[in-house]
Amino acid sequence: MKHTGKKREVRSPKKKKTGMLERIRQNKLAYCLIAPAIIAMIVIHFIPIVSGIIMSFLKLNQFTLKKFLKAPFIGLDNYEAVLFDANSTIRSGFFDALRNTAIFGLICSILVISIAMLLAVLLNRKFRFRGIARTLLMTPWVVPSFVVGMLWGFMWQQDGIINRILVDILHLFPNKPFWLTGPAVMVAIIIPTIWRQVPFVMLMLLAGLQQIPEEYYEAAKIDGANAWRSFCNVTLPLLRSVLSIQILNGIISYVYSFNIVSMMFGHGAGFPGKYGDLLMTNINRNSFQIWQFGTGAAATVVVMVCVMGLVAIWYRIFQNDLVVDE
Amino acid sequence: MKVRLLSCVLVVMLLATSFVGCSSKNDTNTSSDKAATTENGNEAGETESNKTGDKTTVTMWVMPNSGDPENNLKEVLVPFLEQNKDIDVQLTVLDWGSAWTKITTAATSGEGPDITQLGTTQVAAVAAMGALEDLTGIYDKFGGEEAFVPATLPTTQILGAGEERYAAPWFIDTRALFYRKDICEAAGVNPETDFETWDKFKAALEKMKGITVEGKEVAPLMMPGKNDWNVIHNFAPWIWGAGGEFIAADNKTSVVDSEEAYEGVKFYTELATEGLMSMAALEKNSAEVEASFNAGEAAVIISGAYEIATLRREQPELAEKIGTAPFPAGPKGRYAFFGGSGLSVFKSSKNKEAAYRVIEYLMSTDAQVAYQRFCGNLPTVKAAYETEFVSEEPLREAFKTQLDFGKAYPSVAGWGPSETLLQKGLSNVWDNVMGVYGAYKPEQTKEFLKQTASECTIIYNQQ
Repeated sequence: MKHTGKKREVRSPKKKKTGMLERIRQNKLAYCLIAPAIIAMIVIHFIPIVSGIIMSFLKLNQFTLKKFLKAPFIGLDNYEAVLFDANSTIRSGFFDALRNTAIFGLICSILVISIAMLLAVLLNRKFRFRGIARTLLMTPWVVPSFVVGMLWGFMWQQDGIINRILVDILHLFPNKPFWLTGPAVMVAIIIPTIWRQVPFVMLMLLAGLQQIPEEYYEAAKIDGANAWRSFCNVTLPLLRSVLSIQILNGIISYVYSFNIVSMMFGHGAGFPGKYGDLLMTNINRNSFQIWQFGTGAAATVVVMVCVMGLVAIWYRIFQNDLVVDE
Repeated sequence: MKVRLLSCVLVVMLLATSFVGCSSKNDTNTSSDKAATTENGNEAGETESNKTGDKTTVTMWVMPNSGDPENNLKEVLVPFLEQNKDIDVQLTVLDWGSAWTKITTAATSGEGPDITQLGTTQVAAVAAMGALEDLTGIYDKFGGEEAFVPATLPTTQILGAGEERYAAPWFIDTRALFYRKDICEAAGVNPETDFETWDKFKAALEKMKGITVEGKEVAPLMMPGKNDWNVIHNFAPWIWGAGGEFIAADNKTSVVDSEEAYEGVKFYTELATEGLMSMAALEKNSAEVEASFNAGEAAVIISGAYEIATLRREQPELAEKIGTAPFPAGPKGRYAFFGGSGLSVFKSSKNKEAAYRVIEYLMSTDAQVAYQRFCGNLPTVKAAYETEFVSEEPLREAFKTQLDFGKAYPSVAGWGPSETLLQKGLSNVWDNVMGVYGAYKPEQTKEFLKQTASECTIIYNQQ
């Protein structure tokens, strides 16, 4: 019934128009209240994205920057430089960065969700210092990510506190390893990222856990389910929608990860190297720092399209969990 | 369902653009600025003149060159403002990190201050954007070009693109050796003669190997490796000293992979593989290395004149044990890195005459000395070196000596952008030294330099 009603509205646009105007008139205050937000969204998001896409078709470097959107139009050349031209500076190390970002994103996603889930389940139980524990666990999230990068950058140094603990106190390695150089760099960037990301995901999952009615667990208990079974059969399915959002959030934030890595290596000056360079640090250095603004915009658009692909896959998997009962 | 998919995609796009907004600092900023200024935007939005009453307000952007940047410079300007009642100077201190974005935005939008400080490596790039006023005509007021330390002058031009000078050199940042007198003595090293040439320097470091101070073994030489703003500055004198250059005479081809440049890179980096330079320090930045030196962990470091001020202020006792020596001479000549900053006037400035007067004052010997007392850097005006500024501080003597063989980077428009590529290439060289790619292989260094040179050449040829 509802559907036919809607269809009729579409068929008679005139009616719809007055309906809309009517609705705006009726909800004047609401529209007034959201207007600043919409204007801000257009200014902050819409204009930059459109100009970013336009820029990706322009030859935009230090000589043409002054002309900006009137810089020479070069068609798909920037995209060719990003994707196919082996001699372009932007391609240098791009595939290393792609590989690193994939490894980084995958490991972070799995570990963050697992650790956050474990902590959320633990914190959902009643125990004496639950409030204090929750507050303490939230601290890393409050620290700005560039500060996290800088602090961990100091700690990972060869004569830093981590090596002192691992080598001098625990005697886990014969010599102090270099964490900020070579393949170990991945460990050095993953751990602080997890450290910072877990609290937020944990908070979301905890909120999700508290939505699950106690009766479900009681019913499971009556059916003879142990803790693991009730976690798999009650908790997980009911947390799927929260989990799916956290996975999406993770995908986006790991692909666009920049601050921690950038700050950890020379506080924005250094080069994380073959094993630590991520897509964003790579694009930032190879395009924006060497003033290839057009190519940089093209690279950003390419990454954005890839992320949209990932989101499409994510959507296929989780679409049923996102349907909110109406 | 489609609506949902669409909304999801939109959310992702919005999030993605937030990134575009973060990383492409220069261009997005310009975009919003451009949105505000149309074609004739140079005039639009600007006040007719910054005159208030009889006073002309000159706006000036500077970076934090000293401990209290705003008040220090204001204090230097006091005598000028007292004599020039018609001028007022309004200072804005920009953070080094965001300064570049703001300056390029000002250069593209025409909405900038009257005077701006520019790093020596930035002048050519901004001038090439057509944003800076030609200052050649006012050099007479500074006492002519002869008034300046010669090595600073090329940094005010675009190399190979005319004689116009787009900046007035304001101060010099050069690096010399800082050594511990007591460790030299214990090792039997004579700083007067043993730091004169590369070979002698290396031999002296050998002698300082294994010396302990208060039970702790001291590194003969400590230098930052790759995670530092100064990676290129630290390599430059070694490359020059071996007869190498960064750019060929055509101003278009990078020659950082030449045999000579390679020899310089090799000599410097192999100080680490030979155990003369602390490997652990290679993960640090300049500030951390200076802190380690101040904590007595190293016998020799290479640092700027500002380190003198830090030592005198923070550790006056240790400062007595420190000496400075000029950068050692390489087989093909003696060179020291010369950087620093200049002062430029934006073409969009409405108060050019007043701006020139402010710059003229800041180029006077008194103002130069007064300002460098706060900054700890070195004046660009020759006459300043004949004042007490040098004689009152024995540690500054070595820096004065270096004026004769200081060298700045080639001032081409592509230099600024290419620094990032050089930084990356030389980082790879350090990775090789630190064993990231297995055992250290000299050929690998050659390979990295070759790749860097070809990337830089692309940038230098861009128009």
